[in-house]
Amino acid sequence: MVNEERLRHLIRVSRFDTNDGKQCKPMTQYARKDYVSMRLLGSFVTGTICFGILLLLWGLYSMEELMVQLNRLDIIGTLTRLGVSYLVFMLVYLGATCVVFQLKYSEGRRKVKKYYNSLKKINQMYEREERLKMPEHKDWE
Amino acid sequence: MTTILELKEKMIRFYGKNEVFITPVIKFVMAFVMFTLVNTNIGYMKSISRTPVALILALGCSIFPVSCTIFLVTAVILAHLYALSLEVCLVALLLFIVIYFVYFRFAPRHGYDVLLMPLFFHLKLPYIMPVGMGLLREVYSAFALICGTVVWFFLNGVKENAPVLSATDEAEGNMVSKIVIALNQLVGNKELYLVIGIMTATLIIVYIIRRMSIENAWTVAIISGVLFQTIGMIAGYMLIGISGKTVGVLVGNVLCALIALVIQFLFFNLDYSRTERLQFEDDEYYYYVKAIPKAFVSGSDKKVKRFAGKGDQEERLTKKQLAKEMDIDEDLLD
Repeated sequence: MVNEERLRHLIRVSRFDTNDGKQCKPMTQYARKDYVSMRLLGSFVTGTICFGILLLLWGLYSMEELMVQLNRLDIIGTLTRLGVSYLVFMLVYLGATCVVFQLKYSEGRRKVKKYYNSLKKINQMYEREERLKMPEHKDWE
Repeated sequence: MTTILELKEKMIRFYGKNEVFITPVIKFVMAFVMFTLVNTNIGYMKSISRTPVALILALGCSIFPVSCTIFLVTAVILAHLYALSLEVCLVALLLFIVIYFVYFRFAPRHGYDVLLMPLFFHLKLPYIMPVGMGLLREVYSAFALICGTVVWFFLNGVKENAPVLSATDEAEGNMVSKIVIALNQLVGNKELYLVIGIMTATLIIVYIIRRMSIENAWTVAIISGVLFQTIGMIAGYMLIGISGKTVGVLVGNVLCALIALVIQFLFFNLDYSRTERLQFEDDEYYYYVKAIPKAFVSGSDKKVKRFAGKGDQEERLTKKQLAKEMDIDEDLLD
C-alpha cells in the first residue's frame, strides 16, 4: 500500500529537484564563502571580457581622436588611466557579483534546508518501516 | 468587490488546470509581439520582416524557454541592423555580448523582464516595470531592467538616425562616423543614464518597502515608488535640460500606479503555483504524480449555514472542541 505521508515528502523532494535542484545544488556542496568565491572567479573572467569589449567600443568611438594624437600619445599616462579604469570596473562588477550571490545563497539555503528536512523525514519513515519488518516485530504486521 | 474576488479565484483555478496550454500561448503571444515590434520599427531586412516569418519564429519560441526567445529576437535585430549598416550591426553585436554577460550572470531567470522593458518603453509606459519588478521579483532583477533599457535606447536611436546610418558611402571616415553615431545613442545620452538611475532606485525602494513588516506594505511600496519615480524623473529632466516630458511622466506614473494596484490585487499573498508533473520512485513503487494547486471555493459556491446566530468565536470554539474530540488536527475541518 502507498504510504501517503511518505509520498507527500517525496513529492516535496521531487519538486525541489525539478525546479530548483540545478540552481541550488552548489549551495548544498559549498559553504557561503566558497560559493561566493567561486562565482567571483567566474565573474573575474566575464568581467575582464566585458571590459575588453567596452574598451574596443571606446576605441572605435574615439578612433578619430586617437589617430590625431597617435604621434604625441603619452603611453604611460594612457596605460595608467586604462589600468585605473579596469580596476574601478572590476571593483563594481565583482562587488555586484558578491552582493547578488550572497542574496542568492541565502535564498537557496532556505530551500535546501526544507529539502533536507523532507529527506530526513523520509529516511526516518524508512528506518521505522525497516524496524517493523524485523522478526521481533512480526506481530505488528 | 466580491464579484472581482470570485473572478480572480476563477482565473487562478483556470490557470492551475490549464497551465500546460496557457504558458505556451503566453510565450507565443509575447514572442509574436516582440518580433512584430522589431519588424515594424527597424525592419530593414524585408525578407524576415514579414508576418508569416514572425509567426513561425513565435511558434518556435512557444515551446522553448524564454531565453531562447531572447536569443531569437537578438538574432532578428542583428539581421535587420546588418541590412541597415555593417558598422551598426558590429556595434550592436558587441553591445549585446556585454548585455548577455550581465544578464546571464546576474538575472538569468528574468527573461520576461528583459523582453517587456522595450515593449513598455514603446507603449510609453516604462514606469510600470520598476514598480512591478520591485513587487514581484528579487532586487537583482534590476540588471534585467538595465539591460532592457539600454537595448531600447540604442535601437530607438538607430531608428531615428536610420537615414544617416544607411548611407552607402564606403569612405573610411564615413564608416567611423556611423560607429560614432551608433555609440552616441548610449555614450552621450544623458536621458539614458537618468532613466536607468531613477528606475533602478525605484525598484530598490519598492522592493525594500514591500518586504518590510508594516501594515499595507505593498500599497505603501507602490505609492512611495511612484512618487519617487515621478519627482525623480521630472527633476532629472529639468536638470539635464530636456523639456516637454512632464505631462508624459505624470500621466505615465498615474497609469503605472493603477496597473501596480491591479498587480497587487492579482498577486499579493498568492501562490500561482503551477500544475506540475513529477516522476520519481522509491523501493516499492514508481510514482507519476500530477500536482495540481488546490482549488479555491468561490463566493457563489459557498453555503453558509447559521445556527441561532452564533458568532465566529463560538464557531471556532466548536471546531476546536470537535477536533479535540476526534483527536485530529483542527485544520482538517476547514
